[in-house]
Amino acid sequence: MLTVLITGLATGMLFAAVALVYNVMYSTSKVLSVTTGHISMLGGVFGAYAISVLQLHWTLGLLAAVVAGGAFGALTELLAIRRVLNRSDEHLWLLSTLALATMVQQAAGLWWGTEPKPFPRLIPQDFGVGVMDQKFWLPIGMTLLMAIGLELFYKRTMYGKVFMAMSEDAFAAQARGISTDRIRLMSYVLSGALGGLAGFAAGQLTFAFFALGLTLTLNGFIALAVGGLGSNVGAILGGAALGLLNAYASYWFGGEYQQTIAVGLLMIVLLVKPEGLLGDRQVRPV
Amino acid sequence: MNSLTHTHKAWLLLGGLLIATLPGWAGDQYQLHLASLIAVYWILIAGLNMVVGFTGQLSIGHVGLLCIGSYAFAVLAGKSGWHPALALVASGVLGGVCGLALGLPSLRLPGFYFAMATMAFALIVNDLVLAQVDLTGGGIGLPGPLFPAPFDSPSGFYYLVSLLALGVTWLSWNLGRHMWGRALISIRDNPVAAQSVGVAVFRAKLTVFVFSGVTAGLAGAVFASLQSYITPDTFVFELSLFFFVCIIIGGRGSIIGPFIGTVVLTALPELVAPLAKLGNFFYGLLLLVVVLVVPEGIGRVFDIIRERLRPRVVHREPISPDLARLDRALKYKP
Repeated sequence: MLTVLITGLATGMLFAAVALVYNVMYSTSKVLSVTTGHISMLGGVFGAYAISVLQLHWTLGLLAAVVAGGAFGALTELLAIRRVLNRSDEHLWLLSTLALATMVQQAAGLWWGTEPKPFPRLIPQDFGVGVMDQKFWLPIGMTLLMAIGLELFYKRTMYGKVFMAMSEDAFAAQARGISTDRIRLMSYVLSGALGGLAGFAAGQLTFAFFALGLTLTLNGFIALAVGGLGSNVGAILGGAALGLLNAYASYWFGGEYQQTIAVGLLMIVLLVKPEGLLGDRQVRPV
Repeated sequence: MNSLTHTHKAWLLLGGLLIATLPGWAGDQYQLHLASLIAVYWILIAGLNMVVGFTGQLSIGHVGLLCIGSYAFAVLAGKSGWHPALALVASGVLGGVCGLALGLPSLRLPGFYFAMATMAFALIVNDLVLAQVDLTGGGIGLPGPLFPAPFDSPSGFYYLVSLLALGVTWLSWNLGRHMWGRALISIRDNPVAAQSVGVAVFRAKLTVFVFSGVTAGLAGAVFASLQSYITPDTFVFELSLFFFVCIIIGGRGSIIGPFIGTVVLTALPELVAPLAKLGNFFYGLLLLVVVLVVPEGIGRVFDIIRERLRPRVVHREPISPDLARLDRALKYKP
């Protein structure tokens, strides 16, 4: 019973981490990128590649995951977001990020293989330790650390305040002399690094698997929508709720209905409280 | 678009003739199979085009509806022993009902939310198919039954799907060029403005989504029969992306564009071997390039080339003040 709880919390925190990545991207660009889950997938795959294949120390593996995530975040912004945002305010970014996500997933599948491969142990530990296993505590700790770090970043640093200014009103920020293109690129690099970190930390839970991206994109988005778009605390709560629901649903009904129940949760929340638990009310469309 | 010119009629006649005589001049059985596959895809894409191209609702989960149609046909005509024609109709109806069930909650959501909801729908359908082993055979799959006598040969089946495709095209053409189509395009371009001039936005979206569900169900039924064996692996999420790319490349708000897109994109990987290996990477790349360079669709490229070759004549009418009149006006005293 305790294992179900801790499994749910750990996967939930991974979803919450993806939701945080969504939030960082959304704050400066008002774009929800389909590539968000794929960033974490890359983090897991590159981490596993550096440690298992290249036989590097795990700190270097961590570095590889973060660099891969950050690079892919920058690529997303430069390739799929910048031109589309300059062109118009249509929902074309959905298509461009979807295209990029498919490409990176296929490329990862061709290079890494389509089988899930085990992620190496980071800290020497017995396999029989149950709930104290590192595969549960690493993602939980990492996500909480990420959330606290982001909060400090937004509140205490100049760049964090610039991010906030852009998320409030990009035009006003530009009029105040902020280079919005550069800040957007920075936010994508930052979110990419965070996504890579999350994928690395949760690697032992999810395995290094090329098709993980789409699942994470969807579940991270559900966590975000349930918690409220733009709210980091909401992302953590939404992620935890989703993860626990998933774990208990598969404990009671079997694993086949996980996805159905997750989307059911999303639909209920959206029907009852469209802005999510802690989100701001949407402004009117005119 | 409203009335057909003689050139259009000539092209239509030529196209119809080509389609009708295809079993005569197709090189081998495989090419005929490919032509049938194009027709099957087109049945779905013609309906999806109404949703994506005209109404601007980016549904990336239609492969779920296709899957439902396929399994409905395989179960009803195969296991339960219904007449295939009846099963075909039932698949269409079931597709429509599932479209309604999916559209009712999700069409209220804005862009990205809607896309995610439809994607989740596709994943759910796949999960359920895997879970319901008694009904669908789980991961092992089901055989797709053949149609009876005149349609059981490859060429007969080809005529059947072509007829269906023709019917769906005719329906969507009628839908697109009249008041409905205008209303849908207005929803795509500006939902608020559409609402303010009296378009019932949600009802229009829902109706067209149910229509696309029916076509997806029909397409699924003939797809099962064409593939002769279906497993959950047939209905991967990337198939949705393929449908999507066909429409975006052809250009939104057009019917002939996505049709050409479907023909070219289905045939291309079969004819050019290296592309088949890259598969979905190629489709992703294509989608990215089209969205970044020509979001209006490939047809726009031809327009640009035509304008380069034959620049439009711009009438220059210099504006100069009528000095005499101005003078009179200034000196005018009542």
